[in-house]
Formats: sequence, C-alpha cells, structure tokens
Amino acid sequence: MPREIYLVKVGMTMTEGMVSEWFIDDGAPVSKGDMLYALETEKVNLDVDAEMDGIVKHSVAAGVMLAPGDVVGYIFGPEETIPADFAGVQSSSAPASTQSEVPAETVAVARDDQLSVAAVTAPSASEAAQGASGNEGSRTQEGRLKASPAARRLASELNVSIDKLHGSGPGGRIVEADVKAAADKGGSSQTQAVAARRSDPTNVSPLARRIAETRGIDLSLVQGSGPNGRILQADLDHLPTQASAQKMTPVGPSAGSVVPVRGMRKTIASRMLQSLQESAQLSMDMTASMDDAVRLRTQLLKEWDGDARPTYTDLVIKATAKALVKHPMMNSRFDGSEIVLLEAVHMGLAVAVPDGLLVPVIRDAHSLSLKEIAIESARLANAAREGTLGLDDFAGGTFTVSALGMFGVNSFTPIINQPQSGIVGVNQLFDGVTWEGDKPVKAKQMNLSLTWDHRVLDGAPAAEFLASVVEFLSEPYRLLL
Amino acid sequence: MKEFDVVIVGGGPGGYAAAIRASQLGLSVALAEREALGGTCLNWGCIPTKSLLHSASLLTQIKAADGFGIAVEGVSFDLEKMVAHSREAAGQLSQGVKQLMRKNKISVFEGEAEVIAVGSVKVGDELLATDSIVVATGAVQKSLGDIAIDGKHIWGAREAMTPKRLPKRLLIIGAGAIGVEFACFYQALGSHVTLLEVADRVLPTEDHEISGVVGDALAQQGIELRLGQGIEGLRSNKRGVEAVIGDERQIYDAAVLSVGVQGCLAGLGLEALGVEIENGFISVDSTQMTNVPGIYAIGDVAGAPCLAHKATHEAMIVAEVISGGGAHPLEKARIPGCTYGTPQVASIGLREQDADPTAIRVGRFPLYANGKSVVSGHTQGLIKTIFDRQSGALLGAHLVGEGVTELVQGFAIAIGLETTEAELISTIFPHPTMSEAMQESVLLAFDRPLHL
Repeated sequence: MPREIYLVKVGMTMTEGMVSEWFIDDGAPVSKGDMLYALETEKVNLDVDAEMDGIVKHSVAAGVMLAPGDVVGYIFGPEETIPADFAGVQSSSAPASTQSEVPAETVAVARDDQLSVAAVTAPSASEAAQGASGNEGSRTQEGRLKASPAARRLASELNVSIDKLHGSGPGGRIVEADVKAAADKGGSSQTQAVAARRSDPTNVSPLARRIAETRGIDLSLVQGSGPNGRILQADLDHLPTQASAQKMTPVGPSAGSVVPVRGMRKTIASRMLQSLQESAQLSMDMTASMDDAVRLRTQLLKEWDGDARPTYTDLVIKATAKALVKHPMMNSRFDGSEIVLLEAVHMGLAVAVPDGLLVPVIRDAHSLSLKEIAIESARLANAAREGTLGLDDFAGGTFTVSALGMFGVNSFTPIINQPQSGIVGVNQLFDGVTWEGDKPVKAKQMNLSLTWDHRVLDGAPAAEFLASVVEFLSEPYRLLL
Repeated sequence: MKEFDVVIVGGGPGGYAAAIRASQLGLSVALAEREALGGTCLNWGCIPTKSLLHSASLLTQIKAADGFGIAVEGVSFDLEKMVAHSREAAGQLSQGVKQLMRKNKISVFEGEAEVIAVGSVKVGDELLATDSIVVATGAVQKSLGDIAIDGKHIWGAREAMTPKRLPKRLLIIGAGAIGVEFACFYQALGSHVTLLEVADRVLPTEDHEISGVVGDALAQQGIELRLGQGIEGLRSNKRGVEAVIGDERQIYDAAVLSVGVQGCLAGLGLEALGVEIENGFISVDSTQMTNVPGIYAIGDVAGAPCLAHKATHEAMIVAEVISGGGAHPLEKARIPGCTYGTPQVASIGLREQDADPTAIRVGRFPLYANGKSVVSGHTQGLIKTIFDRQSGALLGAHLVGEGVTELVQGFAIAIGLETTEAELISTIFPHPTMSEAMQESVLLAFDRPLHL
C-alpha cells in the first residue's frame, strides 16, 4: 500500500493551501526526512518532510489550491509497483475541495524554530477496509471518502454522486477516470442533463430564452436565480449585450499577462478591503523634531555595540507603546456594541517581503526596553524576509506601526489592521526648519501619519495621542526610562 | 415562562400557515389567537361570504331553470338557513385548522397577545420567550370619517354576512370587492341595492375595461350604481338609516360600510418597540422583517394587497427565512385577485391603463363565443390578455364572467414560468371548456383567432 501525502493543516484557521513547490520530482526516490514539498498558505510557508523511504508520485501539480487534508501524492514502498493507470497530475488551478475534514493526526502546527513538519501518512486502518463490498474500499475506517481532488471537482461539475463510485486508484481511491466512466455510462439522466446544460442550459424560462436570442446573450454564462437555478428574465437584465460588449472592446485596455491572486496576495486584498469597508478610518500627520532622537540613536549604536541596532522605527515603536499606555482608548477593539480596552500593547510591525507584506507582532511592547524592542524587531523582520515566521509571531496584535520612510515617503494613510483601532505610519527623516525667534534653523524632522477608527475616538483625543508620540520622540531620553 | 423558536401572533391564513411551515422546518412554534383559528378569511371573510354567494347563485339559477327546460314552482328561500350554512362551513374549516395545529405539534395559546419586548410575547397570563416573533394579526375594517358601524342599521362585513332579516332598501358604501359581493348577494335575494362609490367606476383597482363590464352587469341586474359620489352623512334612527348623498337625503333599511381595511395593531405594543408603521400597516423588507430585528410581519397587517393567498405565501417566506433558509421574495405583480360577484372577476399582473399602448399586444375574447359558456347560459364576460409587444411575455390577464375565478390560475402559472405566447398557443386546451377562451384570447392578441 502506498502511503498518502497530505496537504498538511497548519493552525486551526487554515482553509486552503497549496504545494508551492515539489522538492522531489514525480517518480523520484525519497528518503525519510528529506524535504518533500513546500506548503504555502495565506499565512505561512513551510517545508514538509517525507515520512518514509520510497518513490514519490505526485497527484497534484504545484500551484493548485486545495483544502487541508487533501492528498497531494503518494510514497510507494520499495517493494510496491506503481500501477500503470495511476491518476494523472492535476495541473490547472482548481477551487479548494469542499471536503476539509482531516484526520487529527495530520494536524501540525508550525513553530518559529521548527518549521518543517513531517508529512503524516494515512492511518493504516484504511488498508483493512480494502476489499469490502460496494465503495467501502474507497473509505477510510473513519468513513472519509478517498477520492482525488480532481475526481471530486469533476464529480461536482458533472453532478456525479461520488460516494456511489467504486475507486480504481491506489487503495481503492476514486480517481478522475472513475468519475468520467460513471458520467459516460449515463447511469443517471440527471448526469446527462447537467452535462448538457453546461453547453446549452435547459432550465431557462421561455421568455428568458427568447430575450437571450434577440439580444445575443450566451445563456451558458448566465447564473439563474429562479427555482432550481432556472434562468429568468431578471437574470438577463444586468448583463451587457454581446453587441455592446464588442463595442466596448476597442477602447478598453487589452489584457497583458495575468497574475493569479492567491496565497498572501489574496489575504492582503481581502483584509485591506474589509478593513476599509468595516470601520470609519481617517488619517492625520504630525511633525516630530528628531535632532535629539538622531543624537540618541548614534549614542546607542555605539554603546550597544552590535548587541542591538536601534532603528528610527524602533524609536517610534517605543514612543507609540508608551503613548498607548497613556491613551488606552487607542489600544482597543471596537466590538459593535462596546469598545474593549486592551491591557497589553502587542505591537504589529509591518514588514515588506518580496511578494507581499507581513505583520509580525512584538509582544508586550509596553513592558520592553528600547533595546529589547530593537532586538525583537530585528529578529521578526529577518524571519519575515526569510519566510521563517511562526504562527505565534502573528498572533494578537493590538496596534501597528508601518514604516515607509526608507522609500522617501513623507506622508501616507496606512490602513488599520483589523480589529485594531489605529496604526502609525513612519515617514522619512528630513531636514526641516524651525524658527528661533525670526531666525530659521535647520532641524531634523519626521512626520508621523496616524490612521485611526473614528468609531472608537474622535479627532481631538486622536490628536492628543499622536502629540504624545511626537513628544516622546522629541524628548527621546524618556524612551530609556 | 415557555420558550419557542418562533411565536406567531394571529391564527389566520398567514399565521397558521407560517406555523405549519416553521414546524415542518424543525422549529418549535407557538401560535397566539384571540378568537378563532382561521382568522377573518375563514371565519368572517372569504369562506362564509362564498357560502352565501353560492346560495344566492343557486337561487338565481333555479329562477332561470325554465330556460333550460326545468319547471320549478313556488321558489322561496330561508335567510336564516343560508346564514346557518355559512357559519357551519366556517366552523368546520376552523375545526380543521385546529387539527392541523395538533398534527404539526404547534402550541396554540388562546387570548390577546402583546409583544412586550423583542423576543417576549404575553398571551393572556402566559409569557412566551422566543427568538422570532411573527405578527400576523390581519386587518380590521376602516371606518369612514365619523360614520361608525353600530351593528344595528349601519353594518360592517360581519353584520352584513349574518343578517337577521332582509333589508328592503340597502345602501352599500364602497364598490370594492367586498361591496360588490354584498351588492350581488342582496340583489339576488330581492333587496333594492344602492352601490355608492367615490371613484368613477366599480372595482376601481381592476383593469378599467373589466370594471366597465362589471358595472354594466350590475346595473342590468337592477343595482343602483352611484359612481363618483361620496357619502356626506349617515345617521341611524329607529327604523333604518338616513343618508346624505350630494344634495339628496335617502332613507335605507340598512347601510353596509365597505371602504377598505387597515392593519390590526391595537394592543400589540409594536409602536412602543419602535416598529415602523406606515398608513396603518407594518413596513417590512423582502424577507418580511420589520425594522426591528427579530420581529416579522406577514399578511394584511404587513400591507396591501389584503388577500389570504398573499398572507399564506408570505407565511412560507417568513418560515424559510427564520429557519435560516433562503426564500424568493414575493412579487406583488404575480398575486392574482378574485371577486365573487355576478359576474366574477379574476385578474393578475399588468392592467391595460398602466401600460404604454404601443408596447403591448392585447387580446379580448368574449365568452359568448365560447361553447361551454353558451350551453350554461353564462355568456356575459370577457377574457383579456396583455403581452409585451417585443418579447411576447405575458404581462397580465383580466377575466370577467361566471367561473373565471377557477381559470386565472392557468395564467398565474404562465406568468410565474415566464412563458411567452408561443407556449400558450402550443398548449392543448381541452374542449369543451371555458379554458378554451383563455387560449383564444392569446390568439387574438397575435391576430390569429379561430372562433371570432
């Protein structure tokens, strides 16, 4: 019996993920403990090890979105022969399988220092089920149906009841061919009807069909809203006619290459949009005098001598943490009916990484010294860039600091990391002017951009909070207290 | 305190249907009713009046039996028995609803209900706790200015359907469905009926052409139509009522007030909870929810049209919504309506007066050209269909004539399925039936009639 390689579930909230890279080629030998594949979820990337020696067969190509617990391939033992009709590799991106329950043994949680997780194999009990009548051979002892993701998808497309099929794949697993055979047999007229509808929908009201004909609408592209998905007149009303769509084409932009939105990009897209839609965000800037902060940083770099290298962002984090203790309304969560004030300050730190953005959290920032903050932020930023952050590093942020100063930015409107109530943007240090009487004097300055949730607090208290941050930065020796 | 998933206030065709459906969907259901299960429709509306109208229609047919070769002599009627039969029919059906409640394990609480808070309903001394409250209290008759129903000579619908003796001269104020039905009933029994209507036609909410046919038929039967006139004053005295219509003073034995209904809201306590009420009806969204989450309203109390089948349909919607399922919202243009006068009227969808005449095709088939109508002698009537000129969609159907209330459902299905004239023309209608007139009307709309 070949052992199944599962898409490992990392953390309780993982709903989908993919093999972003196979380290062992299809058909190549692997030894126990070798890195087998790279798992990418919306939150973390980690490497998964092989659990036994053998020959690896892929059943899913890299880049296919799946649900945790789905089988991505098999390891065949040295004595086992690989069946000639082994299910082919699924290469196109498919929607995540709806079957997401996973045997408990396959749940693994990533820790920051231990990021590779052993691929857990199927319970051996499944072998005992082999040879039972009906499709029992396609079920594990827990009753989980063994079917390839491709088979599941095809079955749902062709409306074939997958739980009635007999699997011909390894270990009685249901593969695409089984589904195709069942559909071709036309065992159920329903199957044929559904298959036919894919090209020419039959569940269409006569009126909708006539309107579609006169307006040149392709009904196979229309989603029906009537009983049993019947396409009705109203479903056609909001569609542009083909004629007008064609007219549009020459003036519209022509499509270039397409970048799939998945993994981290998908998460960022939905979180950012959700944040703007669900809270009342607005921003303000304030300028801090940084002459003393520049001096302090220079002194600290010398004094700590490589133990820690404080950045201006670290100074802002420390100043912000102190200001949050002074203005607890800003360190809060809006709950609809109440505002929950949070006791600890866990400071999120937005870090740009090659294909997106990560926000690891400096825990208990309010009780850490500036040096401790400098050390922790350096560790998190490195881990983020190297892709070795653990789940704990992301958890529980209460406020966020986001720095764009290194790109020459002087002001921006950061988006709140929900469910927090505010975020401070760190801008570039610049040579500004202060006035000593009538005399202009050159001074190091920095703008701080605060975005906050107006549902939680109004402009005046928000300005007071930002003034506190500015004050701590302008008198930075207070940050060492 | 007892706890239920749903508490429904009112046991009419909205409330009891919602209770059954909610129970079928696995919810625990309480139903509060202060009077009799079945509500106005079953006890004081559709059902008893149909019984009376059936009696009147039998009488008319017997009187006309000679034309069909049957000699009947000494025809008379017993008003008390007619009323008794109508009460019996109502009682029997109400009993049936009671059994349905038992069968579906619905807890029925008798008494006045008050919504004391969101999630809490008091019925008599009983306090019921729930997640969802459905208000299905129906409607009550509207009064007209300072004219109040006194039960003696100034009647509401209840008094008009339980007369002790036949009024010689009867004034009916309002020629909507209820007014027309009572006019036909009393006229058939021999009263001299005056039908007063402020609008310039009877059944003013119907298609104008249909209203015209009905008006002509009523006048032909001897009903005195006073259209475009309002009542200036109405006073009850010992022997009857004195009515002021325009400059005239007229004496009648009785007057029936049938000027419409308003939501039954008194004593429910909904205003105090902030439930939005507009023109005497509760405002609801497409899921039947009021502006206060957890409080729903269905049927008459949730607004016009005040029809039992609309209430029942909304009951299905609200039960599905409360149980967490999806429901297709009610499309008001697809609610058929029936009036059981002589002749009957049945209609659904677009009226001709509301359409751009260049955008529609209209078919009108008179019943005198329909075989079945000729043999039964009911040749007065018309079946009218309205189609979209461009798409061929059936937009409306308006029927007048004996028996048309049983036909309109064919058009309701056709509109519901979004059929065009093509399907209606290719459907085979059985001969000899009145339904052939439905197809002829469609053929006429497309200039290809067979029998005209």
